[in-house]
Order: sequence, then structure tokens, then C-alpha cells
Amino acid sequence: MLADGLYKHADSVNELLARYGVKFGIYKNGEFKEQLFPFDIIPRVISAEDFNFLERGLKQRVKALNEFIRDIYSKRQIIKDKVIAEEFIYSGSGYLVQCDGVTPPKNIYAHISGIDLVQGKNKNWYILEDNLRIPSGASYPMIARDLCRKGVPEMFEENRIEDNRNYAELLRKTMEYVNTGGLSVILTPGRFNAAYFEHSYLAEQTGAHLVTCDDLTVENENLYFIDYSGKKEKVGAVYRRISDEYLDPVNFYRESLIGIPHIFDIYRKGNVALINAPGNGVADDKGIYYFVPAMIKYYLGEEPILQNAPTYLPYYEDDMKYVLENFDKLVLKDVAEAGGYGVVFANKLSKQEKENFITLLKSEPRRFIAQEVIDFLDLDIYEDGQPVPRKADLRAFVLMADEPVVWKSGLTRFSRNPDSFIVNSSQGGGFKDTWVLKSK
Amino acid sequence: MFLSIENSDRLLWLGRYSERVYTGLRSFAEKFDSITDSADYESKYDFVKNFCFDEKNPSSIRSSLLRAYDNAIVLRDEIGSETFSYVQLALYEINKAEKSKTLMLNLLKVIDNIVAFWGMADDRIQDEHARGLIKLGKRIERVDLYARMNASDEDIKREISRLTYRITKTGLRYNSDNLEKLKALANEEKINHSEVISAVENLIELNS
Repeated sequence: MLADGLYKHADSVNELLARYGVKFGIYKNGEFKEQLFPFDIIPRVISAEDFNFLERGLKQRVKALNEFIRDIYSKRQIIKDKVIAEEFIYSGSGYLVQCDGVTPPKNIYAHISGIDLVQGKNKNWYILEDNLRIPSGASYPMIARDLCRKGVPEMFEENRIEDNRNYAELLRKTMEYVNTGGLSVILTPGRFNAAYFEHSYLAEQTGAHLVTCDDLTVENENLYFIDYSGKKEKVGAVYRRISDEYLDPVNFYRESLIGIPHIFDIYRKGNVALINAPGNGVADDKGIYYFVPAMIKYYLGEEPILQNAPTYLPYYEDDMKYVLENFDKLVLKDVAEAGGYGVVFANKLSKQEKENFITLLKSEPRRFIAQEVIDFLDLDIYEDGQPVPRKADLRAFVLMADEPVVWKSGLTRFSRNPDSFIVNSSQGGGFKDTWVLKSK
Repeated sequence: MFLSIENSDRLLWLGRYSERVYTGLRSFAEKFDSITDSADYESKYDFVKNFCFDEKNPSSIRSSLLRAYDNAIVLRDEIGSETFSYVQLALYEINKAEKSKTLMLNLLKVIDNIVAFWGMADDRIQDEHARGLIKLGKRIERVDLYARMNASDEDIKREISRLTYRITKTGLRYNSDNLEKLKALANEEKINHSEVISAVENLIELNS
């Protein structure tokens, strides 16, 4: 195996990750704790050929999703043409009526997309989720690669691996492309956010200012950063790591104690770029996921390159029938949940739990999707000096400037529990670097 | 380089807390030898625990280090990951020291990391103003601590001189009356500690 020599250095690399404070935040019993993000030294390796296939499929998917968001907040042609039922648009929490008729700079909505995939044992790749709001995770393989290169340089001399440390450059270009004139900033809700390490590391690597809401103000229909001497500098692009509802208390959640009053008003006028665009949640709803292959055909006139996991919408009669007949072999997901929560493997339910769940499903069919359980290809992780197989997914990042670019790496997350399919860091999962091999 | 009011304040306090750790530990190291000869094991143990490790005691070394960390972690984009890492390492070392049988050796590593942090800050922070704020915080805290700890008049006078040199270089707004007062106090034959403390604590007008 390509990375055979790496495991000897696992402790050294983990020590370096601790030194640089590579952590994520988690709330347990109402208390905030910082935890090191467990790193496994054995990388996921993707061949150049496989990556080329993924790259084509991911670009296609993100282009279609971007078109979909634009359509939904303008002509809504896809609804008129009955490709998607309108119930799936307006009943989801991701649709924001405030975004109707708003066109973002350069017509880009999904600037940074995090697309979750798994590889089945049959070697086919399946899309699990599209994350188009504020997908996180790129910073972890970025810094892990940097530290592995320092710790074990010979591994990178011997193997032809695409360098993933260009993520900061791609992000900078993404921000600059839509910048309406002025500074580019990264807006963080603050230190007690789960992904604060990422916010601060990306700011350091891109050279963008890391700001909180208090550092920004809207005046004369522009956004300004206020420095320590009171001087104001115009801001042209905000890579915001704050959810839509907390972005602007005047336009969204009025009780919010954070946010920048009127930032959405000047965004609507085209005076600042917000990355990603507010309202993107309409396209990454788990219910909408079902329709993405149809979107690709509708907007691009192409056959989808990448497959969804086989998915059923109990909202439709035929699908409900299938779900009830095959209940025990399916996984059910609450469309309103994220982070690995709201995921139910039907075969793990007791008789009573199953009956209760089916009652709930019948009363709220729009709330759930059902999927066939994909038998993921296991990846080895190093545990107690031995390689052991674990379930793992891949979050691929697609950055959109004049053209979509797929980052030649990604965040591979794995479950540390041998019996679990849940890979999320908030539920104890770890991460690996993702090596994309160069073409021969 | 644009620096927010909040980050200016944090840089200054990062300098102050790191100095508090450094001078606190230096002073502890000097006293450690005489503590070793103390017969009263209980009070000796309590003192070490309270002075070095008690998170509930706001004056303990750990509390000061945690406050330095709280400021450093939100300044990664200003000071850089390399500079930040020495504050993180100092924190790991104090946690190890608490469980260690070679307490003083581990605490010396905390000092090493604070000194490395200052060196790295001086070398790697490109923005002169940001760099200057850490140094200024350090100088303010040094005068304050020396006055509180009844250091020799000679030491306090030397530190006031270093502080007055530093403050005029930062371009920061400061209370010039208090600066003049500090200079005058340093010229007196006998240092008035409480007046030094009052003048140095009211020197900066960062948020005014």
C-alpha cells in the first residue's frame, strides 16, 4: 500500500495537530468543550481516474443546484413544469421568502459546496448529501497534509500526490471573484462555535480578516469594517460562517443577539457579496436531494454522472408503499436534522419503536426520506497498533468562481465505532487526509 | 493591516497575561528552593496547588495561562498558528506539571514556551502595531507586578524606563498625565508602590 510507512509516525503527527490546536467545539450538558479531532494517519487514496470521474460528476451536480436556487428565487420554472412538487419547496425550512427576487453578485449562490459521498463495496460512488449552506471541514485535511509533509517528507517524495494546500488560494479566488469592491472578510459567530478552528485557520491562510458581527456596520448602503482607531474600510465580500437566521436581526430572526442589522438589505442591492448566498437551504434539504438527478436533466440536459443512494419519499403513495413493505432494510432520515442526528436504521428498532415510528411516518410523510442502506467500502484506520476496518465517507469541496473547481482532496470522516455508520465529528468520528493521485 | 478594537484589546491582554505567567513562575522558581526545606508539608502542598494550578483562583498561574490562551486562540489570523502554538504548548505543560513528580522541571518548560512565544511573536507578526501591543502589554504588566511584589526600586525604575520607551512607539492613545507621573515616580529616590500601580493601571485608553 502507498502509505505503508506512515503509521510509524502517527503519534508524531497527532502531537503536531495538538500543538497547533486542531480542535472542534462541542456542547455537552450545556457546557462548551474543545476536543482534538481524532486523526487517522492512513489516508484515503483516490486514483487519478476515479477523481476525474468524481470531478465531472460533482461539477455537473453543483452547476445544476446553482441553477435550481436561481430558478426558485426567480421564475420557478421547475415547479411550473412539474418536475418538483411545490410542497417540497415551500414547506422546507431552507426556503426563505426574503430571498425572492434577489440576485447575488455574478449569479452565484453555491460558492462553496460540500458534497458527501460514499463508495460502496461494489466500488460505485453514491452521493449522500449536498451541503450548500456553510459546509465545514476543508481546514482539517489541509493542516494534516502540511504536518504529514513535515513529519514524513519521504512519503510525498515517493508518491505522486496532488498538493491540497491550494485550498486557501481557491477560497481567496472564490471570494475575490464576487467581491463588490473592498475587503474580503470571514465572519465568525465566535470562539464558541464548533468550527472556530476552521474559521481562524482559513482566515490565517487566505489573509482575509476574521471578524465578528461587532466589527462590521452598515452605513450609507455599504458594509464597513471598523478598526481600532475608528477608521472605516469598505467590505466587498463576506464569507459568513453564521446561519441565515442569525445573519441580520432586521430581516431574519429578530430575537437574535448576533448578526449585522441591514446587511441583507445591502446584499439585496448588490453592494456586498454573501458567501454562500442566503436561502441556499432550499437546495440542500434532504427531501430535495431526491430530485437532484431530475434537476440535472432539466437544467443541463445531461444524464447525471453521479448516482444518489436509492431514495424514497414517503410523501408519494408508491414510495410509502415500498417503504412500509421493506421497512426493516431501510434507513430513515428526518429532513430537518443534520450532523448525523435524526438518522434511524429500521433494523435496530424494537417492535414498539417500529410501530411508533411508522405511525409518525404516516402522520408526517414529508418529514422523512428513506434510503437503502449502502454497504460502504470499509477503510482501514490504525487502532492499538493494528489496522482495523471502519465505515467512512468523503466530503468533496466544490468552489465556484467563473467555473466550478473541485478541490483535489477532501475530508474523509470515519466512525470509530465498528458497528456504526455515523461518521460525524459531533458523534465521536475522526478524520483522514484524502490523497488524490496525479495522472501518470 | 486593519485591526479591530476588540483584537487590539486582546493583543494587549495577551501580552499582559503571558507576562503574568512568566514573572509569576520565575518568582515561584526562586522561592521553590526555600519551600523545599519547609517542614509543613500540608501548607507547602496547598501553596503549590493554589498558586500554580487552582483554576478558581484568578491569580494562579493556570488561570493567567488560560486567559492568555483565551486571547491567543481568537487571534490566530493576527499572530499566526506558529506563534499561537507556543501558548498551546505552555498549557499542555502546565497540565503535565500538575501530575508530574518533577514539578519544577515541567514548570520550567512552561517558561520556555512563553519565552518562545514572545520570540516568535517578535519574529513572525508582520504588523508592527499588533506586535507592539503584545510588547506593551508585557511592559505594563511587568511594572504592575514588580510594584505589587515589592521588587527592588532599581528593578522597578528600569521597568518603568522600558515601558515609557515602548508606549511612545505603539502609536496608541495613552493617558499622558499618568505617563508623566510614572516618569516622575521613577525619578524619586524611594519608589511609592501604590502610586506606581495606580498610574500604570490607568495608562491605556484603548476603548475610549
